[in-house]
Amino acid sequence: MNSLKWIKVLVVFIVCFVLQTTVAEWIQLFGARPDLVIIMIVSIAIKFGPAAGCFWGFFAGFTQDVYGPVEWLGANSISMTVLGFLVGQLEERFLTLNLPMKLGVLGFGFFVHDMVYFLVTGLEKDVVTNLFLSETVPECLYTLIVAAIYFHLSIGKKKRNV
Amino acid sequence: MIRAFHFIVGLFTQKHGIVAFVFFLVLGLLMHRAPDATRNNVVSVALGTVFYPAQMVVSSVGQFRSVAHENEMLKEENARLRQETYYASEALQELARLHTLVRFDDKWDYPIVTARVVGHNPGRFLTTMVINRGTSRGVKEDMPVFSMNGLVGKISKATLTHSRVQLLVDPNLKLSVLERRTRVVGFLESVDGRTLSAMIPTHAGVKVGDTLITSGLGGIFPKGIPVGTVTKIRPADLEVMQLMDVVPFQEFSSLEEVFVMGKDAEWVIQELLDE
Repeated sequence: MNSLKWIKVLVVFIVCFVLQTTVAEWIQLFGARPDLVIIMIVSIAIKFGPAAGCFWGFFAGFTQDVYGPVEWLGANSISMTVLGFLVGQLEERFLTLNLPMKLGVLGFGFFVHDMVYFLVTGLEKDVVTNLFLSETVPECLYTLIVAAIYFHLSIGKKKRNV
Repeated sequence: MIRAFHFIVGLFTQKHGIVAFVFFLVLGLLMHRAPDATRNNVVSVALGTVFYPAQMVVSSVGQFRSVAHENEMLKEENARLRQETYYASEALQELARLHTLVRFDDKWDYPIVTARVVGHNPGRFLTTMVINRGTSRGVKEDMPVFSMNGLVGKISKATLTHSRVQLLVDPNLKLSVLERRTRVVGFLESVDGRTLSAMIPTHAGVKVGDTLITSGLGGIFPKGIPVGTVTKIRPADLEVMQLMDVVPFQEFSSLEEVFVMGKDAEWVIQELLDE
């Protein structure tokens, strides 16, 4: 990543957080909100690789941690770093991912993120099961729908540029 | 400077990102394992510096959207309140007479500080928010925070210009509640940071739809602030207790303005109870 790309990603990062705390709240369905931050981290990791995925993942997780319970500080940072690193292994420089593949990676990353988060926070098993069914699954599905639109548009734009 | 930046980036990208991964993972674990005081400092410094401008932007965007809607609502409310004012003044006079008769001395007369929510958790687990009032406006730690709809939480950290509000859904906030119909005292908490559950004695006969208010025990929250509605009742580990799901009157993710009650914590109540 060159300096210009760092600035570009920083702007996207800020815009994404603004959208997550405003637009994502307005478009919630039955209490489920799309996680735009995870879409952003997955996109960055796929485009720029695991190091960038880790960096922006950690930074995004820390931003969320700051507003979480102090006792759980670091939980989001760790889970987002893991997400950025794992997804970054599928960097576009080496692989070409089509839309279904990208969505599959996002879905996998979403579950990995939540599982790592639950593990770090040390929540009880029944609480985790309940959260997984009532929050992770519906929000993952909603996030996938939003991501499908975003990936479709970004792939279309790339094709036009080619 | 730029050379140093490129050197660090080059170092992190080595071994297909493993260096970066280990570095950030260790950093995250250090934060997670740090003592409470250190974690509080990290959060306070981050909120007061890097994130403060971003919080202002986010809250401004949210406020812009709600102004038109709020205007409509206020017009309707104004008309309704005009009607109610007449009846209220009549009722107040009657209440004053009754208070004198029974020597009733349980009313709130604490100063109220109005505050704007300037920071929300951008993640999916909302347990804290930041407001734009701090010690310069008399806000102190452990002061109750509420909205037009009901209880929101309490001040967990107050700095000069802004404060952190610990929401009801924070797993570290335990609250003594009173069921309005049966007048039985119970205990409210959140174990997962998202949902609220209350523990109330089985003999009370609490039903779905009953409402919970603050009990006034514990010394932080005064008695009578609406908390939420019981939506589901489940058996608890102890037969004498019932576990119930509670939906708070106030939806925390949509909060824009809150009120801080200028009430200092009365720890003497808890000390007397302990004795």
